[in-house]
Amino acid sequence: MLFNSVEFFLFLPVVFLLYWLIGGKRIKTQNVLIVISSYIFYGWWDWRFLFLILFSSLVDFSVGLLLNKTKKSYDRKVLLWVSICINLGFLGLFKYYNFFINSLVDSFTFFGSQLSVSTLNIILPVGISFYTFQTLSYTIDVYNRKLEPSKDFVGFMAFVSFFPQLVAGPIERATNLLPQFSIERKFSYSKGVDGLRQILWGLFKKIVIADNCAQYANIIFNNHTEYNGSTLLLGAFFFAFQIYGDFSGYSDIAIGVSRLFGFDLKQNFACPYFSRDIAEFWRRWHISLSTWFRDYLYIPLGGSKGGVKMKIRNTLIIFIVSGFWHGANWTFIVWGALNALYFLPLLLLNKNRINTNLVAEGNYLPSIKELGQMGFTFFLTLIAWVFFRADNILQALSYLKQMFSNTLFSWVEIFPSTILLLVLFFIFIEWFGRSNAHAFENLNFLNKPLRWSFYALLIVLIFSFTGEQQQFIYFQF
Amino acid sequence: MKKFLKNIILFSIVILIIGEITVRVTYAVCDIPQRTIDKFGIQKYLPNQEGYWVGGDHKWVINALGWPGELPKSFDDLIVIIGDSYIENFMNPNEYRQSVLLKKNINKYNFMEAGRSGVSLIEAMEISKQLDSLKPIQTLVYVNDNDFYESIREIKALTDITQLQLDDKTIVYGKMKSPKIKKILYNWKLLYYLYNRFPLTSLSGKAEDSNKQKTNVDELKSKNKVFELLYYIKDNYDIRNKTLVFHPNMNMQLIEKCKSVGFNVIILDSNEDNNWTFDYDSHWTYYGHERAAQQVADALLIRK
Repeated sequence: MLFNSVEFFLFLPVVFLLYWLIGGKRIKTQNVLIVISSYIFYGWWDWRFLFLILFSSLVDFSVGLLLNKTKKSYDRKVLLWVSICINLGFLGLFKYYNFFINSLVDSFTFFGSQLSVSTLNIILPVGISFYTFQTLSYTIDVYNRKLEPSKDFVGFMAFVSFFPQLVAGPIERATNLLPQFSIERKFSYSKGVDGLRQILWGLFKKIVIADNCAQYANIIFNNHTEYNGSTLLLGAFFFAFQIYGDFSGYSDIAIGVSRLFGFDLKQNFACPYFSRDIAEFWRRWHISLSTWFRDYLYIPLGGSKGGVKMKIRNTLIIFIVSGFWHGANWTFIVWGALNALYFLPLLLLNKNRINTNLVAEGNYLPSIKELGQMGFTFFLTLIAWVFFRADNILQALSYLKQMFSNTLFSWVEIFPSTILLLVLFFIFIEWFGRSNAHAFENLNFLNKPLRWSFYALLIVLIFSFTGEQQQFIYFQF
Repeated sequence: MKKFLKNIILFSIVILIIGEITVRVTYAVCDIPQRTIDKFGIQKYLPNQEGYWVGGDHKWVINALGWPGELPKSFDDLIVIIGDSYIENFMNPNEYRQSVLLKKNINKYNFMEAGRSGVSLIEAMEISKQLDSLKPIQTLVYVNDNDFYESIREIKALTDITQLQLDDKTIVYGKMKSPKIKKILYNWKLLYYLYNRFPLTSLSGKAEDSNKQKTNVDELKSKNKVFELLYYIKDNYDIRNKTLVFHPNMNMQLIEKCKSVGFNVIILDSNEDNNWTFDYDSHWTYYGHERAAQQVADALLIRK
């Protein structure tokens, strides 16, 4: 079920009312309702893959309990690896098997010999990368004794399958989300209102910004050989806002829906395009994934504590794995590697943490220096997005070559002024809400009629600019 | 919780009002004329209505006889035009109706239209029977292959379309589908807008299937039943002054059979010209209507 679908528009109020009216303050009933509604939500896409979620829940729940009982270090390690192998095994089978086989066959062909290995005709279960990482965080935290294992299977199932963030995150840590399934949840008016505001802003980002930018990004990327450099730059710009609107919009809806049910999820995006350097960008983009890799991969590898070689190795590993997490394609690996190259100079010069405060804090507008820094960082991300969006490396290189040709300074061949105005409006709202968890968090300075008029304006814009319904990009990851 | 639900309901009401006003002011959906069924079982429109097409660029008009378009100044030397949504033609301004364009081409005749979306061939013949009281010198029935199939109950029973039951040779008149719900839907413009804009997946799937049917022109399906329909029409209606105007790219076997039964036939030719139809559906554009009227006029003039 998509958040921007008629089905979800009907599903959400029904589940909400059942949850609070029937579930009341009974945690068990509420958890059962969450599990049922989450399985309906996921099964709407393909019910067969519910067994995968159920199996993953069973494995990690059992491993958690066994880890608690087992005292021997070796046995605990074995249990941890059982969980890691099963979880990553499924991920590898569904997501990466065909990629590895095809790459192997290509390598043999490149060296002049033929290898005949058949690929699997399987579809990628939606959200597998997200819930796999979420359950892995549980097992690792229990193994590291940072978390008590859950003894309530229903609560654990609800944690794994919690529908607002099941298919595209945010990837919640067990330490943050799991305990919320075992404490009493009371409806809070302010939390409910804030949740609705965040849902509205998320829908605006997805439907108005992402879906409309997608139309032009698709046209330009699919026919890139026919356009001049400036138009290709505009295509990359559209894709940058498509992916940001799409993914952060989904996160906003997920967080907002969770708040309606009394849950607090972690912030996943913090206005990343206002970053002054790449290090800051990565502290603001897909925060739940970046921190996951930091805590469960980068730090265990030694982090930045070792020498220069160790720093370079670990940075390259974390960025490349992060790229590979997004998809089984060399384009994502190059995207990750390119970001590592952007990041490494800052790390080696010890300048990766100079921009930890809010840009233009306390001011309405940024300084010229900040504006330049933000523009340069955004430009670097644009180049990286070309690899992310392209079908293959050759297409990305050809796109960039054409983009940086003499025609970069000629007038654009496509100029959708309405969409560009909407993007400007979007940037304006994000800028003035940049210090909050989401752009609409602090709207209480407006009186009620003005607030409601503003909501109404957004709703009218959402309905007016709804184009062809596009699936959320991050579903494929 | 009570306060939350109360505010949501209140806000929803405000949004519904604002939405309704916005949709009406911007003509985001077209006005839909109300239908009725006359004493002969023919579905037509309530007389003397008018409304806007999407965007408000032009108005459609229902005349005093309950059909779209203006009535001719005189019923002398009358040529009647009957057809489905192509003749109903709400999507184009009045000056691009077949009656107006034909009058431009052949001024000595008067033209009157009786078009309604969903009209099958057998229903067109029933309409022509009623309009024969106006003593037309000629009746043009615009048809495509589907109008033949949809006329036969044994091929597919369609409750809202008038059909012939071949078993006992009876006419089963179409009934209006969910008239009350439709009335609410058409008057509550915001709801109608949302219904059009965000169709449920299953419904849009069906619509796609029916469009696909129209493209199969290679073989005549249910040949015997279609021939039986034609013989029934020949025996039960006066077809001497009836001309079937076939849309472009229709089944040649069917056209030949219509000729052999005794119909006059005009075959429209679009020469693979894409400008005939809109990008988003198969209905004719201004240009398509102009071309069609030109070809019909040429054929009528040659015949005289």
